[in-house]
Amino acid sequence: MEIETDVVSNTDGSAKVTLGHTAVLVGIKADIGKPRPMVPNEGYLEFFVDCSANATPEFEGRGGEELGTELSNTLYKVFNNKHSVDLKGLCISAGEHCWVLYVDVLLLQCDGNLYDAISVAIKAALFNTKIPRVHISADEEGGKEIELSDDPYDCMRLNVENVPCIVTLCKVGHRHVVDATLQEKACSVASLIISVTHKGTVTCTRKVGGGSLDPESIFEMTKAGKRVGKALHAPLMKLLQQEESLGKTRQKVGFLG
Amino acid sequence: MLKSKIFVKKTRAGGVMKIVREHYLRDDIWCGSEVCAECKQESAELQRDACIESNLCTYPHYVIPDTNVVLHQIDVLEDPVIRNVIILQTVLQEVRHRSAPVYKRLKDIIHEKEKHFYTFTNEHHRETFIEREPGESANDRNDRAIRVAAKWYCQHLKTSESDADGLKVVLLTNDQGNKQKAEESGLLVYRCEEYIKSLIGNPELVDRLALSNDDKNEITSSKLLFPEHLPLSKIQAGIKSGSFLQGTFRASRDNYLEATVFIQGDGEESTEILLQGLQNLNRAVYQDVVAVQLLPRDQWVAPSSVVLQDEGAAKDDNEEEEDEEEKALRISAAEAARKPTGKVVGIIKRNWRPFCGMLNASHIKESTRHLFTPADRRIPRIRIETRQASTLAGQRIMVAIDGWPKHSRYPNGHFVRSLGSAGEKDTEQEVLLLEHDVPHQAFSQAVLSFLPEMPWAITPEEMARREDLRSLTVCSVDPPGCTDIDDALHCRELDNGNVEVGVHIADVTHFLRPGNALDKEAANRGTTVYLCGKRIDMVPELLSSNLCSLRSNVERLAFSCIWEMNHKAEILKTRFTKSVINSKASLTYAEAQMRIDDTTMKDDTTNSLRALNKLAKILKRYRIEKGALTLSSLEVRFHMDSETHDPIDLQTKELMETNSMVEEFMLLANISVAQKIYDEFPDCAMLRKHPAPPLSNYDILLKAAKSKDVEIHTDSAKALADSLDMARVEGFPYFNTLLRILATRCMMQAVYFCSGMDTDFHHYGLASPIYTHFTSPIRRYADIIVHRLLAVAIGADKTYPDLMDKQKQSALSNNLNYRHKMSQYAQRASVAFHTQLFFKSRGILNEEGFVLFVRKNAIIVLIPKFGLEGTVFFDTKDKAAPHLVFDEDGPTLKVEQHTFSIFDRVKVTISLDASNIQHQKIRMSLIEPVIAGVSVPAPEVEPLAKKPKLDR
Repeated sequence: MEIETDVVSNTDGSAKVTLGHTAVLVGIKADIGKPRPMVPNEGYLEFFVDCSANATPEFEGRGGEELGTELSNTLYKVFNNKHSVDLKGLCISAGEHCWVLYVDVLLLQCDGNLYDAISVAIKAALFNTKIPRVHISADEEGGKEIELSDDPYDCMRLNVENVPCIVTLCKVGHRHVVDATLQEKACSVASLIISVTHKGTVTCTRKVGGGSLDPESIFEMTKAGKRVGKALHAPLMKLLQQEESLGKTRQKVGFLG
Repeated sequence: MLKSKIFVKKTRAGGVMKIVREHYLRDDIWCGSEVCAECKQESAELQRDACIESNLCTYPHYVIPDTNVVLHQIDVLEDPVIRNVIILQTVLQEVRHRSAPVYKRLKDIIHEKEKHFYTFTNEHHRETFIEREPGESANDRNDRAIRVAAKWYCQHLKTSESDADGLKVVLLTNDQGNKQKAEESGLLVYRCEEYIKSLIGNPELVDRLALSNDDKNEITSSKLLFPEHLPLSKIQAGIKSGSFLQGTFRASRDNYLEATVFIQGDGEESTEILLQGLQNLNRAVYQDVVAVQLLPRDQWVAPSSVVLQDEGAAKDDNEEEEDEEEKALRISAAEAARKPTGKVVGIIKRNWRPFCGMLNASHIKESTRHLFTPADRRIPRIRIETRQASTLAGQRIMVAIDGWPKHSRYPNGHFVRSLGSAGEKDTEQEVLLLEHDVPHQAFSQAVLSFLPEMPWAITPEEMARREDLRSLTVCSVDPPGCTDIDDALHCRELDNGNVEVGVHIADVTHFLRPGNALDKEAANRGTTVYLCGKRIDMVPELLSSNLCSLRSNVERLAFSCIWEMNHKAEILKTRFTKSVINSKASLTYAEAQMRIDDTTMKDDTTNSLRALNKLAKILKRYRIEKGALTLSSLEVRFHMDSETHDPIDLQTKELMETNSMVEEFMLLANISVAQKIYDEFPDCAMLRKHPAPPLSNYDILLKAAKSKDVEIHTDSAKALADSLDMARVEGFPYFNTLLRILATRCMMQAVYFCSGMDTDFHHYGLASPIYTHFTSPIRRYADIIVHRLLAVAIGADKTYPDLMDKQKQSALSNNLNYRHKMSQYAQRASVAFHTQLFFKSRGILNEEGFVLFVRKNAIIVLIPKFGLEGTVFFDTKDKAAPHLVFDEDGPTLKVEQHTFSIFDRVKVTISLDASNIQHQKIRMSLIEPVIAGVSVPAPEVEPLAKKPKLDR
């Protein structure tokens, strides 16, 4: 697996992940919006998955649309909750302004195990996200004015410790496979998606595919997923921090490297 | 190499945008020095022997100023002594961002070859570009960039040095922190003052140094005289909440302790707030944009009618006297007369420019601090430091304000330059131009570079594109001595019995291409300014007096408007075309008139003039029937001595038939063009409107007419025109002219505007629904725009984005209106100055005149012979005032036993009052009617020296 952050300069945070032959690019843009009325003191995330025809010929025309919607709905469920991301920290002034993080996922190449790659990329991109710091100045009448800091280095970082990673387990015959290739996936009748935090807490599970799973194997697969997911977090965080510490001296690889 | 610059910006919708700009670095940016053998530059700006006499830097060196030095000491940098200066791109960008006028001046210096200024694009140089570091402010980053560039120069010159002449770079900065850091990195660095003071050969440069903050405390006393100004953020909050008001500060001309703030309200409504007393004026200077706070209603006052001039030498000490003066203002006023009164709490934008004026030398001989009195009475006196007070006394000088600390009675400033001795013609002309903000410097090299090359001829391609009208009998009619001929006429019979009339206008837009430096300069100047004996051109002389001027017997490019008319002067067909003409004669009004009147002349030119004259009379009749006004204002002509250029005689301008002939066809062309461009571009046509005056403006006219039992109707332009025609009084032939002069004063200003920004197009004076200016592109920029629009409309030229942008058009027309107004004021001031010169040479004169206005303590008298207006005051300072009774309804003024009313015939003596050298004026005093204690006996008129009159 290859990870590079800060690959798209005009986003607030970005990451590119290659997992086998699967390649995903995630860009995050932060913008000021109005908080949802039910949760006035929280910001929120929005997801959009673009399945470009580069990834696989099937996506040509409107072919990728259905998959894109499915993916973004799942991602929304997994990430947009206060247990995964510190949504309260995204609030600027309760009920009036909050940060909205637009997470754009671009599939560059499809070779199975999409969810896992995307989730890793999102976590890396969130880690990389720099939100410009704002100052709220209130005038005498109580009207609020948002001022942006003019120092580009003066920015807010997100705590990504609790951001989960997704593990997809494909049931092939009586066994299940983690990190399935396209061929392996083709053999599978049903698969289970679980999102796991670094502590091993499962935040979301979903079953996809036409086949059925019996409760016992679900239990077994969950256990395996938890173990895999938990093992994924620590090296990922280490890697990200290492890259960050290089600062400006880091040689960028980009898309041609 | 590629770098990117990143910054975040808030969008108008409240969103946040991250903007990324690609920034390319290169290694082919040369250092610009003659010494350098490494850089492959074509021509080096910076000289090898960059020597300047300095006891600080005895070696040849280049100077690198930082941004603040450029911003504050631009006057010094402009001096020809300062040469071999490296302007870094960082500095240039910051200057551009912070002050547009300084930026323009800096650019002009850089363009000047002799100054040897070099712009080093350090931001794009591979070795001098730096990125902003975490925790570093934008200013710190720029300071570091300047240091890095200076360091680079240092090393670069050292390595490339072939012969050891020890060339160095010197960094000038006034910032302590920056200086320290620069010293640490081994740079030669001085404070600007240190460096300038070290230039042994040029002590006068020190006077031009603007005072920096640390210098100020030596001048001022510790006492706080003024309340602190609020910071901008508080002002903005206050304006938003309505507790403060924002407006333009307008000081009173007559009273230095009083001012008004003009507040632009929503839509039509705008209010004025009165300010009284130094504390409340709080260091605002005329034309500043200020924030004011209203005082409680019980502290409101009425504007005083007292004339107060700041006369103390240096009043810092005798505060009490001042308080007394302030008390004198607070006369108990009736409740009704009180006006909203306020105080200045902060300055939003200073509008300081260099001011012209004179020095009041300090009484103490050795003192270097002096007060400066500006020519404009609305500007406070300025304290400057100079060591050449004795030479500057009696001279007109320019001074710029540097700041106004809260413990100083007067603002601090510095000497900019001397304009020459006061009272001299050239000096006064310069003052007049500067004070009216007329751009009058010689055209810069950048501007001149866009002129066509001489010898110039019409190319065959150009000829093919244009209609060839060289065979027509075209002629021009202008005032005598006119060299910028922008219109010519022709008229010929057609085979079908109709006549073809053509108006040919100089095709200036052929030479003035949109967007280049020449065009920008012309757009800024807006108009040619005509002073007595001097013309300040809008476009360089090569164009105005040669290539564009439609002189006789040369081929010239023209933009023609050609009508087919029947003999009743009804237009049958109109067409516009770019053409080539060859004028057969350029005549003066008088010559043309003589040709028409001389029945023996039968040549083509004369015949077409006669035909034109006939048509013009019909056109004029139509126009007057529609309700166009014929107004009157006296214009004077000076007969100048051909050698000394002093005025030797003064005459009111005479109008001939031919004047009106040319005028009629110009009006017709303007209206035709206005219609055409408006049809084609309803959103962005540049038009001219003349709004109808509000009825209250006519009060004075109505009252005046009524006093002679004449009735004037003002319901419409037509009614006004008719009643003016009817207004005659037996035995008073001049009455009608006087009435028309009064009517002119009631009118509004005509203005340019962009058709997409307004709905009212009517031209009241000409009674035309639509009007524009097309016929004088050499001297007015509005005509240039109209030419371009018309050329696009007929497919003769291509368009460009700004032409179709109504916001930009509107901004442009605002500038043109401003320049136009200022040029009129300058013109009037010039006439006034020459009138003074004339009366100075003529001594005392006794003349007959008419009362034009009656005021509370004076009458205003018009002398028709000279077109001169003057005021006869009845309350002079040194004499006991006579018994005055003013009746507003008349209006009449009863002085002792005699009652003055408008149109009374009086006799006055005219003389020049030169007691105040800055404000010389014509003084009039009454001779007839004789009122004891008021009128003066008629003085003996000195017999005129028998001078040969050269120009008669």
